[in-house]
Amino acid sequence: MEEKTFESALQELETIVKELESGNVDLDKAINKYTEAMKLAKFCSEKLSDATAKVNKILTEDNELKEFNAE
Amino acid sequence: MDKEYIKISELNNYIKSILDKDTFLNKVYLKGEISNFKSHTRGHLYFTLKDDTSRISAVMFYSSAVKLTFTPEDGMNVLVTGRISAYPAQGSYQIYVEAMEPDGLGALYIEYEKLKKKLAAQGLFAPEHKVPIPRFPERIGVITAPTGAAVRDIMSTIKRRYPMTEAILFPCLVQGKDAAPDIVRQIKRADAYGVDTIIVGRGGGSIEDLWAFNEEIVAQAIYECKTPIISAVGHEIDWTIADFVADLRAPTPTGAAEMAVPTVLDIKTLIDNYKIRLNKNIKNMVNTKFIKLRSLRQSFILKNPMSMYEVKEQKLDSLIDTLNKDIKNIINDKDNSLNKIKLSVVLQNPENLIKDKKIKFDLLVNTLKLVNPLGILDKGYSLVEVDNKIIKSSKDVNVSDILSIRLHEGSIKAEVKEVK
Repeated sequence: MEEKTFESALQELETIVKELESGNVDLDKAINKYTEAMKLAKFCSEKLSDATAKVNKILTEDNELKEFNAE
Repeated sequence: MDKEYIKISELNNYIKSILDKDTFLNKVYLKGEISNFKSHTRGHLYFTLKDDTSRISAVMFYSSAVKLTFTPEDGMNVLVTGRISAYPAQGSYQIYVEAMEPDGLGALYIEYEKLKKKLAAQGLFAPEHKVPIPRFPERIGVITAPTGAAVRDIMSTIKRRYPMTEAILFPCLVQGKDAAPDIVRQIKRADAYGVDTIIVGRGGGSIEDLWAFNEEIVAQAIYECKTPIISAVGHEIDWTIADFVADLRAPTPTGAAEMAVPTVLDIKTLIDNYKIRLNKNIKNMVNTKFIKLRSLRQSFILKNPMSMYEVKEQKLDSLIDTLNKDIKNIINDKDNSLNKIKLSVVLQNPENLIKDKKIKFDLLVNTLKLVNPLGILDKGYSLVEVDNKIIKSSKDVNVSDILSIRLHEGSIKAEVKEVK
């Protein structure tokens, strides 16, 4: 699958679900869309579990991005 | 000693003249709370100024009242400039107010209301200007003080809910007179830096503490900021101007973080939910088509192709029936006619016919008898023939011809001897 952001993938997934639920899709197309949607769901789930936690930062007056820990 | 009685008006006027002469009383600066406020129809304002222990009547004439920048009301703390004089008719002294402005919190409140009205009129709060907050931000700018509960709440809530988002603090002053420009500066910085969402706010405090968020420059900065902004100033009950301009208003800093990011669990549930819907949908779709197919396959025609002819067969039958019936009808008709003929009188009584015929026949026979040439023979006439020809003249015979002579009874052959 081409490089997609998590959000755009999820958005696409949502669009397909709604499209299929509208009932305006041929069976052949629907099956293709279904397959695609399942791929997107998998992609999103993977992205979610692969995501590493980011550290909170602070942007200093010198435009330096430093780790920030609120006490 | 003679007692000199004077009129009350003389006394009151005397007191008034003393008061009017006093330079201190000619310009008094007074601080107090408005009560018994009445606005006369002619535009003069009458009220009482009071503090914890004392009160003084106050009047503000129309000429001064029109200059007011706010609408006075009971309970409002005000700063008043005026002169003290007496009102002889009542025997009372009062302050004639020349100028009045709201005091302290009251002043801030008035300013707040004024700015709110002004910015609303300028369209800064317009819903159509508001930008939706991204659902899955990858980077969030947090504009607040680097210490205290607010920054801690925001940062920890974001991290707990959606750890893959990068939260970047843009530290700023949140109270004092330098706070507003600092907030403006950081909003612009965050906007330029490139974040998906900005949270701007601070923890709870007094109205003065929160004041920076009621400043017009902050409101303008939020309005002009291209990045969606969630405001989170103070507590639930505090509504600052910033809250009205922001794309989304959170009741608290923690609330702002909750609005800014989903929880990982939320998303997992969402994806699962999508999967369930997809499966259900495709199953339904296939099922529907399958049922349709099956019903088509089982349709009567496909199952009984010959039945297509049944209709025709039946039609043919009925045509043949009709034809048969027609023929029968024709035969019947003829039969009937025949029967009628058979039953006719003549045929039923053939002797009648014969009788008739016999009468006619007898009549004819008699007639025949009358004209029968042979009939006259019995009267003595004879019939002469030669070669079966009746001889009517002597010229018809020659000598020696044999004549046949038919008599009434029998016949004679004779030879012609002579012709004359």
